[in-house]
Amino acid sequence: MPSLYVHVPFCIQKCDYCAFYSQALTDTPRELISLYLEGLEVEISKRQKDAPQGVSSLFIGGGTPTALKEVELEQLLGMINSFFAMNLGTEKTVEGNPGTLSVEKITILRRYGINRFSLGVQSFEDRLLRAVGRAHTAEQAREAIRRLREAGFKNINLDLMFGLPGQDMAFWQASVEEALSYTPEHLSLYGLMLEEGTPLYVRYREIKESEKDRLDDLQAEMYEWAVVRLKKAGYRQYETSNFALPGFECQHNLGYWRGEDYLGLGPGGVSCLGRERWKNIEDVHSYSNLLLNGQSPMDEEGKEALSLRECMAERMILGLRLDEGVNLISFQNDFGADLRDIYRDVLERYNYGDVFVFQGDYLRLNPRYAFVANTILQEFV
Amino acid sequence: MAQASQRIRNFSIIAHIDHGKSTLADRLIEYTGALSKREMEEQVLDSMELERERGITIKLQAVRLSYQAKDGEIYELNLIDTPGHVDFTYEVSRSLAACEGALLVVDAVQGIEAQTLANVYLALDNNLELISIINKIDLPSAEPERVKQEIEDVIGLDASEAILASAKTGIGIEEILERIVKTVPPPKGDDQAPLKALIFDSKFDAYKGAISYVRIVEGRVSKGTTMKMMSTGKTFEVTEVGVFAPAMRIVEELKAGQVGFIAASIKNVKDTQVGDTITDAENSALEPLPGYRKATPMVFCGLYPVEASDYNKLRDSLEKLHLNDASLVFEPETSVALGFGYRCGFLGLLHMEIIQERLEREYDLNMITTAPSVIYKVHTIKGDILSIDNPSNLPSVDQIVSIEEPVVKATILVPAEYVGAIMELNQEKRGTYSAMDYVSTSRVRLTYELPLSEIVFDYFDQLKSRTKGYASLDYELSGYKETDLVKIDVLLNGELVDALSFIVHKAKAYNRGRKLVEKLRGIIPRHMFEIPIQSVIGNKVIARETVSAMRKDVLSKCYGGDISRKRKLLEKQKAGKKRMKQVGSVEIPQNAFMAVLQIED
Repeated sequence: MPSLYVHVPFCIQKCDYCAFYSQALTDTPRELISLYLEGLEVEISKRQKDAPQGVSSLFIGGGTPTALKEVELEQLLGMINSFFAMNLGTEKTVEGNPGTLSVEKITILRRYGINRFSLGVQSFEDRLLRAVGRAHTAEQAREAIRRLREAGFKNINLDLMFGLPGQDMAFWQASVEEALSYTPEHLSLYGLMLEEGTPLYVRYREIKESEKDRLDDLQAEMYEWAVVRLKKAGYRQYETSNFALPGFECQHNLGYWRGEDYLGLGPGGVSCLGRERWKNIEDVHSYSNLLLNGQSPMDEEGKEALSLRECMAERMILGLRLDEGVNLISFQNDFGADLRDIYRDVLERYNYGDVFVFQGDYLRLNPRYAFVANTILQEFV
Repeated sequence: MAQASQRIRNFSIIAHIDHGKSTLADRLIEYTGALSKREMEEQVLDSMELERERGITIKLQAVRLSYQAKDGEIYELNLIDTPGHVDFTYEVSRSLAACEGALLVVDAVQGIEAQTLANVYLALDNNLELISIINKIDLPSAEPERVKQEIEDVIGLDASEAILASAKTGIGIEEILERIVKTVPPPKGDDQAPLKALIFDSKFDAYKGAISYVRIVEGRVSKGTTMKMMSTGKTFEVTEVGVFAPAMRIVEELKAGQVGFIAASIKNVKDTQVGDTITDAENSALEPLPGYRKATPMVFCGLYPVEASDYNKLRDSLEKLHLNDASLVFEPETSVALGFGYRCGFLGLLHMEIIQERLEREYDLNMITTAPSVIYKVHTIKGDILSIDNPSNLPSVDQIVSIEEPVVKATILVPAEYVGAIMELNQEKRGTYSAMDYVSTSRVRLTYELPLSEIVFDYFDQLKSRTKGYASLDYELSGYKETDLVKIDVLLNGELVDALSFIVHKAKAYNRGRKLVEKLRGIIPRHMFEIPIQSVIGNKVIARETVSAMRKDVLSKCYGGDISRKRKLLEKQKAGKKRMKQVGSVEIPQNAFMAVLQIED
């Protein structure tokens, strides 16, 4: 059973570090959103067949899904519910940003069975939020958390970022502490990544190598501190950047890291069924017009037939992000080979310092190396 | 037949880099209609891409021009181009030997440079008729009178007849052509005598084999002639002869006085050595033409493939380059750090850089180049004299009685105001002053004896930066001199990296050892562990730096929408790493092996 992701490519404004496909509402005519919803409805109806037994989880992300107006949000949730079967207990997440969460919108989410909310807080420091172009304040984040709780959300994730321009250790600690004070069931802590094509990437391009090293060291310290702090607060670090109270791990994302199938609808949405992966065109107009004309919204360049080797590599680089590691039996079942044979060289080369740990049916990466994992993970690609 | 050779003129152009040699050649080609303006690629003679980029001629070429002079006769003018760099002095001398005249092109602003002077002497050695041309007279800052005076003072040529020209605008081109016809003597050689053809260049062609670029001095050659190389006695059957018009054009025969090419399905350019004499095997000349010598490399470095599996490809590529460049020498070498590679010898630094770049660009090789070294002569306690071209082969101190290093006689031409700066530089570079004279009121010629290793180190860069680019240098090997030298080794993470060893004068050892580890600290990327970098002399550590352990190298986010992108990111990272050389557990970027050249005294 695949999971289902629906992409809502609209935001109040684009953040300076963001490389995802989304457009700022300030320069989007409202008709474009209607067009998006019309196109999406066609896609949903057509793709229902890819999930005959329903979907294992739902994640509505973006962009900022909650940037939609109440009526638009209702329309979106309605079409998903009517085409895809979901069990009562299925995890259904919507993500959104502070400043877009009216009580009315939250009520609609509840009414349509959304049982998990992921809030992009990033920091409780206004100065830092402004520095990366976030369209909200810390106070709006606090208000959003309060409203979500009041509306009955019992599974809330807060996103926090570290390594933001001008953020020092004390700011970071203060944001984490405040987040903990709301006892969220789930926390995602992301180190700032400089993605090509973003304004922040351009801003940092000129900095010296030694300054880069200093910033990397600071991020590492922030991360290491948070790992210890969250553990003390009772959270389990089940993935490189994700922490949850027991039982609240994000099922949808676990699916990605375990190599399960997924459908990604909407412009820019990526689907992966077996070894076929494809991506929808990253343009609302073309996406919807293609669909409304009975054509596929697929982006030809985003189409991949993954080789067995690539599939195995992905299983490793994703699975080793997880605390549980890569399941040897699933690997054997899915690829017909023992990963200990396939990657014997790498496993031997890194046999020092307990880089890899075999535990039960799993191969794990020693958490000590989580923040320098790329060096090791590139051995698998 | 003697009649025809009366209408041949063979000449070359002597000029400093940037003084307009290529532009002038282009104008001559254009004016005589060998190529129409539209057909003509900018600067036809400098055809190698690398040459274009560097604005210099590396491989020389030749072109035949047909010119109807004012006397009504049509003349065959053969322009033989020469490389304009000190590394290629021998090649220049052979090109000049193929001519009866030369155009001395001097920039009307900059005046005579050291390299020009050196080539003028070569031309005079070959008894060439020199035609002085003062180029770039269209520039507002041109000072033709001063430059004329300089030509008279420095070279002792009568400059009253010097032609004022601008190759860029076309001023003086006709006058130059007329002067060539009038003053350059026609070739003498007897076309009935046994064949003597001087090879002034050679080139490998995939279809025709090694092609000799020749000046026929005596006799004649045509398809079917059994030719013989006089230095080796090897014989080949001529398959084609032709001329450069400027593209290769096959002709019936070449005879005394003419310039052209000979193809004979020769597999190896080693058999067509510059300076060698081609004769007719069935009617052999008694003596070869004078002046032939094997090219002697002065600068050596190690070339290693980053991927051990590329070793054969490197060998094949070096062999292919060698097809066109007999002065490149190479032999297998093994480094503990770098594995199997080649120790290569070059005429000089520029030659080395050119070969490296061509290997990378044309043969797509991913290589490590070690810092260049000269040949040291080491006297051992056993009484042997060893020639050491690789610092890591230097015997241990207790085995050495003394070490000699090569020294050169260096001539520097510089505006008077920079004399102090040059003297200071030469002192830092362990130079010995020998002479100074004023070549004009404002320009000085300094002669020094300098260790070749210092020239290889960073002399050119220093010379340029300390004189704002106004100084020019020429040098020739003058001998060997005993010096107090030591070898510095580098340890990375406790392991000796032999390819980083270098030999240096004792007085500079501490400073260079320290600067090198500082430089390496900046070059070697962070690893998952801390890496100490030490420079040592014998067992004594003279400097230490540390590359701290990497603490962040992670994809903080990785979800369904960008798994492919993140996988590709890791692939890219991996490819970047592949360009580095793994020595022990340390990945070393390629430029680390040249780092010793990037430090300043």
